[in-house]
Amino acid sequence: MTADVAESIRADAPDRARAVVLEATGMTRRFGGLVAVNDVSFTVNDGEVFGLIGPNGAGKTTLFNLMTGLIQPTSGRLHYRGADITALRPHQVAARGIARTFQNIRLFGNLSAVENVMIAQHVHTRSGVLAGVLGLPPAPAEARATRKKAMELLDLVGMADRAETKAVNFAYGDQRRLEIARALALEPHVLLLDEPAAGMNPSEKQTLSGFIRSVRERFDLTVLLIEHHVPLVMGLCDRIAVLNFGKLIALGPPHVVQKDPAVIEAYLGDAG
Amino acid sequence: MSDFFHAHSSVIVSMVFAAVLGLSLYLPLMAGQLSLASPGFYALGGYVAAVFSTKIFNVASGAHFPIPYLLIEMIVAAVLCGALAIIVGIPALRLRGIYLALATVAFVEILRVVSLNLKITGGAVGIFKIPQPFRSTLQYLWIALPLLILAMAFVYRLEKSRIGRAFTAIREDELAADAMGIAPTYHKVLAFTMGAILAGIVGTVSAHFLNTWNTRQGDFNASITVLAIVLIGGSRTFLGPVLGGLVLTALPEILRSVADIGGLPHWLAQFLKDGRLIIFGLLLVLCTVFFPQGIITPEFLGRVRRLFSRRPRATTADEARAAP
Amino acid sequence: MAHFIQSLLNGLSIGSVYAIFALGYTLVFSILGIINFAHGAIFTIGAYFTYVLTGAAFGFNGVLANRSLPFGLTLVIAMIVGSLLAGFLSVIIERLAFRPLRRRGADRLLSLVSSLGVAIVAVNLIQYLVGAEIYTYKGKITGNLPSAVNFGSENTPIPIRTVQIVIFGVSCLILVLLTFMINYTKIGKALRAVSEDATTASLLGINTDRLIMFTFFLSGFLGGMAGTLVGSSVSIAGPYFGIAFGLKGLAVIVLGGLGDIPGAVVGGLVLGLAEAFVPSDYSAYKDAVAFGLLFVVLLLRPQGILGRVQVQKV
Repeated sequence: MTADVAESIRADAPDRARAVVLEATGMTRRFGGLVAVNDVSFTVNDGEVFGLIGPNGAGKTTLFNLMTGLIQPTSGRLHYRGADITALRPHQVAARGIARTFQNIRLFGNLSAVENVMIAQHVHTRSGVLAGVLGLPPAPAEARATRKKAMELLDLVGMADRAETKAVNFAYGDQRRLEIARALALEPHVLLLDEPAAGMNPSEKQTLSGFIRSVRERFDLTVLLIEHHVPLVMGLCDRIAVLNFGKLIALGPPHVVQKDPAVIEAYLGDAG
Repeated sequence: MSDFFHAHSSVIVSMVFAAVLGLSLYLPLMAGQLSLASPGFYALGGYVAAVFSTKIFNVASGAHFPIPYLLIEMIVAAVLCGALAIIVGIPALRLRGIYLALATVAFVEILRVVSLNLKITGGAVGIFKIPQPFRSTLQYLWIALPLLILAMAFVYRLEKSRIGRAFTAIREDELAADAMGIAPTYHKVLAFTMGAILAGIVGTVSAHFLNTWNTRQGDFNASITVLAIVLIGGSRTFLGPVLGGLVLTALPEILRSVADIGGLPHWLAQFLKDGRLIIFGLLLVLCTVFFPQGIITPEFLGRVRRLFSRRPRATTADEARAAP
Repeated sequence: MAHFIQSLLNGLSIGSVYAIFALGYTLVFSILGIINFAHGAIFTIGAYFTYVLTGAAFGFNGVLANRSLPFGLTLVIAMIVGSLLAGFLSVIIERLAFRPLRRRGADRLLSLVSSLGVAIVAVNLIQYLVGAEIYTYKGKITGNLPSAVNFGSENTPIPIRTVQIVIFGVSCLILVLLTFMINYTKIGKALRAVSEDATTASLLGINTDRLIMFTFFLSGFLGGMAGTLVGSSVSIAGPYFGIAFGLKGLAVIVLGGLGDIPGAVVGGLVLGLAEAFVPSDYSAYKDAVAFGLLFVVLLLRPQGILGRVQVQKV
């Protein structure tokens, strides 16, 4: 992204802040007798960092899975920039510009770091079987551009020096960063991060907050974040939604949510 | 040397066909899909050749079958197999898991029952006297070897291309690939269809080569043999099925010559001659238990490469981490 | 009308054998999530075990030509013992071909491949040992009963072979016993618990290895019994006898929904009836009916006739 594009985005930031990017209405998902997500409604505004917190088993990851098409809701709808995306398959959701990482990291383990990031550029490239096999246009140019961009993204997460290492061989924190790089390769508008700090050491956790903020600025992203690490969530998020037993029990800016009695109750209840 | 080639010409050509057939099963495996349908498409391709060459093209008996006709048969077989693969593949490949394996078992059986009962396929007897495009058996290599080399080059290039990477992503983690914008069903059907086309093409040439074609070409034993070629040879690099096809096809011949050496107990000699499928079955079990990725793996190739590079053995970053 | 009733009764008879055979497949699938391709070979072996146990001699081909056991059991006892032996063999196969893979947490496709390997070894070993001849049991399970029973009137006879009726009766008896076992015995309840939710079941302290052994035994017994029942109806048609049946069994469990225990019974009956009602002009295509149905189910109801939609854990 060029400097003046970034400049122009910052210039109309106040306007954009009001634009709704994602709108969940009455999202519900049952598994047998269990209601994992129960009538959850909220909106996410363009450019904000939206935190999703709650005790274990509150339905946060299920909500992410519903939003990315990995599972279908029992009822409820999801709109993205006004379009209904409830019934879309995961790859269609991804192609529209919603990328995600996974709580239990799902990299392509036997492939190298750079290959992992190249794969995620699939929707932005065109070359088919014949072009790829015979080396006809646009395959060679695309292959070069794909690799170049993958290397840039690896550089961004500080892993360019280990581009050819297999994904399974990375330490936990590196795997999390690689997953973010892979998600960014989709050129998303919305990035869903499922517990990005899990398994990171304290110093990694500290730099993560700044990293997420810089990525949001640089790629003009809206970020949704599931996280347990409270300082990270409080410092980073513009608004926070709290889930408990599948229900949305609070939604607002961090300092408000922090003092919400229902939230305190949910966490204390969880601890006890 | 040339005597050796002529004495074993039939085995040598079969070895090459088996290697290509192995690649036809390797293609869907690139996308993580186990298909048992290669022999079915192989049989179908053979029937196309058998029917066209004996009933449609008019070739005077005794004359050589023109090569352009053979190419036409290959194209017809490719189109037919490709279309059928799409029809079979879409319902089976929408679903995750073992449905493709089951659907391909069903497909092969339906094909067998149908060809057993149709007039045009000659029923249980099959089709005889399929005309010969070549003067000697060994000359089939003129078509078998280019086919193998082209197929190998195709797969090698495919693996490094955008589509090939999408296949690999699905094999590694279908759900994650889906979430990264790769349409799983489309790519799985594509991989399956390319394998079907390749198997069909091998079938057309094979029908001429064998001179006769019947329902035994696509039966359960044929499925097992191709499966053994890929899974024993190696399912993670295309050299696995190629070497698997070459070696396992030669194996019965080798065992037979061992049995003929003499001095072996009668039962053992008999076993070596008749026990080909028992040995394949045992190898399949042993391989899945001890070598789940087959004999030829990318790691194995890496070791071979280092052995020949003469440089002192360099430890890569991967190995340094793998062995702390 | 007469023809309809005849087809119906014959369909139920063969369908009930499909049902007990397919139960063997589906029990293993419900516990381990794998298809045991060796199940068709177990079917064959059960039939051969029964043949051997009656004291009959082998034919002229193969290593064991003309040999026989020094004793002979009556057919009914031989069928039961033969099926039990098939069950034990199934446990041994589990030990050799499945357990090592399970311990390693290997891809389920690999279990499918190793069981295919076992199947091909078993079938060809039989051929090597006793040749590819057709074997017919000494004695009849119908005993002194007439060979056919008329279900119609004197004017419009509807003859059904007695052996079909006996087979139907035996299969129903097995189904009733199995239902009782699954619903009322401790191990049966454990089996059902694991098949519904493996994680919860292991939390409840169910000994999975013992349960898996038991499941394979049961599966092998059902497979062997199906083989010996079909064998007593139409003779043993050589070592490949069970392969075709085994492949049809796969169609049955897809019809019923993979791992769905009642579904396997319904699927078996549906296939038996569908085959029985194939018009005689097309009887040559009867063996393709199972696989045609498989595709229809894959297209319309991949979860099976009775099935619920499976929840995929993300």
